[in-house]
Amino acid sequence: MHVKSEIAGSVWKIIAETGADMAADDVIVILESMKMEIPVIAPKAGKLMQMHIAEGDMIVEGQLIATLE
Amino acid sequence: MSWDSEIDEIKQRRKLAKQQGGKDAVKAHHKKGRLTIRERIDALLDKNSFDEIGEGAGVPDYNDKGKLSDFQPANFILGFGRLDGRKVIVGGEDFTVRGGSPNPAGLRKSVYTERLALQYKLPLIRLHEGGGGSVGGTNKEKDRRPLGDPVFNESRFVPLAETLSAVPVASAALGPVAGLPAARLVASHFTVMTQNAAVLIAGPQVVKRALGHDMTKEELGGPQVHLASGAIDNLAEDEGDALSQIRRFLSFLPDNAWAYPEKLTSQDKADRCEDMLADIVPTNRRQPFQMRKIINAVVDQQDGGSSFFEMSRKYGPSLITGLARLDGESVGIIGNDCMYYAGAMTAAAAQKLRRFVDFCNSFHLPIVSFVDEPGFMIGPDSEKAGTIRHGTAAISAVLQSRVPWASVQVLKAFGVAAQAHFGPDGYVLSWPSAASGALPVEGGVAVAFAREIAAAEDPVARQKELEDMLAASQSPFPRAEGLSVHEIIDPRETRPKLISWLHLAVAAMQTETPGPYLTGMRP
Repeated sequence: MHVKSEIAGSVWKIIAETGADMAADDVIVILESMKMEIPVIAPKAGKLMQMHIAEGDMIVEGQLIATLE
Repeated sequence: MSWDSEIDEIKQRRKLAKQQGGKDAVKAHHKKGRLTIRERIDALLDKNSFDEIGEGAGVPDYNDKGKLSDFQPANFILGFGRLDGRKVIVGGEDFTVRGGSPNPAGLRKSVYTERLALQYKLPLIRLHEGGGGSVGGTNKEKDRRPLGDPVFNESRFVPLAETLSAVPVASAALGPVAGLPAARLVASHFTVMTQNAAVLIAGPQVVKRALGHDMTKEELGGPQVHLASGAIDNLAEDEGDALSQIRRFLSFLPDNAWAYPEKLTSQDKADRCEDMLADIVPTNRRQPFQMRKIINAVVDQQDGGSSFFEMSRKYGPSLITGLARLDGESVGIIGNDCMYYAGAMTAAAAQKLRRFVDFCNSFHLPIVSFVDEPGFMIGPDSEKAGTIRHGTAAISAVLQSRVPWASVQVLKAFGVAAQAHFGPDGYVLSWPSAASGALPVEGGVAVAFAREIAAAEDPVARQKELEDMLAASQSPFPRAEGLSVHEIIDPRETRPKLISWLHLAVAAMQTETPGPYLTGMRP
């Protein structure tokens, strides 16, 4: 399952670690957009297989953030 | 002599019409997990309430003796019916006959749908699944004349456009919908599509030939495209869900623009105060909160859930729009969602707002706005999208409103866009978290005090100092002192305060005779 960003901004903080078991609504990363901290959450439970971004990265709408299994 | 044989023929014709595209076509349709149009209409309406119009329209076949042998029915089914006891008009393409692409009688019936809605001033529901015209035309007999409508006929699009200011229109896409049916689909106040539906101007083959794109119809016009494009308001899990969303949508509305919405007996307490409202807004301005939780806590609870019915969630998502009940009265709800660009007004959010405000005005729904507006969305994408024009049009729509309007200033109300949340003669409540001004301090201070900050010994500290000082000046208390708001309230009091206002506002509105809402040009 691909988790994509619904907004443009920058990656402020990575919260979850690759390999972690995520529950639905767990925070994966926090983005900074329009001076606010916006969490990107796991839409469903699953294992965090891959993180596609790093802290400080600029991201665009629809960009792939993480892959869950 | 008697009329027995003619009466028998009526029975036979009705029976043949109900066979739709024939057993095999119906079976193939069911195999795709879809109901036929007749099954859909039965599932939508109150039991046995369908009163069909034009069942006999279609093309007959006769045997050698001149007796009726077969009948291809019009592939658009139309009629009156009852929905939760209310009279409505319902129609939809029959996909089992020519894939819903109009046959001559089907086209006539489909065009007549909107005229009927206008004539009888009843809510209109369309259940779409079908294609548009074909280059081969609708007649197999090429030499048959005349081919088209005479020039003096009114365009079939006139009633389509007029229904929107006269009666509530709700439509569903329950399969592939292309061309004319797609245009009718979106000529609605509310549209819903199922997961396996697709809405297209033209299908994959036409697109491939013209543009070279090799795409499926789902890729071209599936829910992931049209929920974000704004062409479709809501997604339905399945056909049953689509019909129940239509039922729910219409439950908030009057039969037509010449009537007010009906007040229901509320199952909820008018004086209910939710404690969670007191601290739902973080004091740290960088942290977001869930506006939907606020909306759900304030509006009526109904049948064990919130009465809030959200529409167009995926389109212009920085703005929330939907319908709800407050002490039994229908209201339109607007709120900013700070999870998307801090709730800023994008071009899409502005168009969503304008359309929603016009819709509420068309059916006399008071509007309650939960405000957390940082301003128009900024940046290159926003400029390219023409946000300033769409935003100004939205503000014009708000300020032309004739319905009662209440604004609950939850947090931000900044810039020109803030005006899009405060209607004429509105009732304004302010939460202690409210902050207003030309622009938020975080951005504004760096610009307005650039030289002073640069000249300071510790520019970072000076900027923070200025920001804190100006943030205090954006506090709601001075605004309450100057009667710039009606009241600054404990957030828990929001529901009872809004309900007291709403009863006064609705009573005042209803001293006027209701009618269609028409406006002039906007930016």
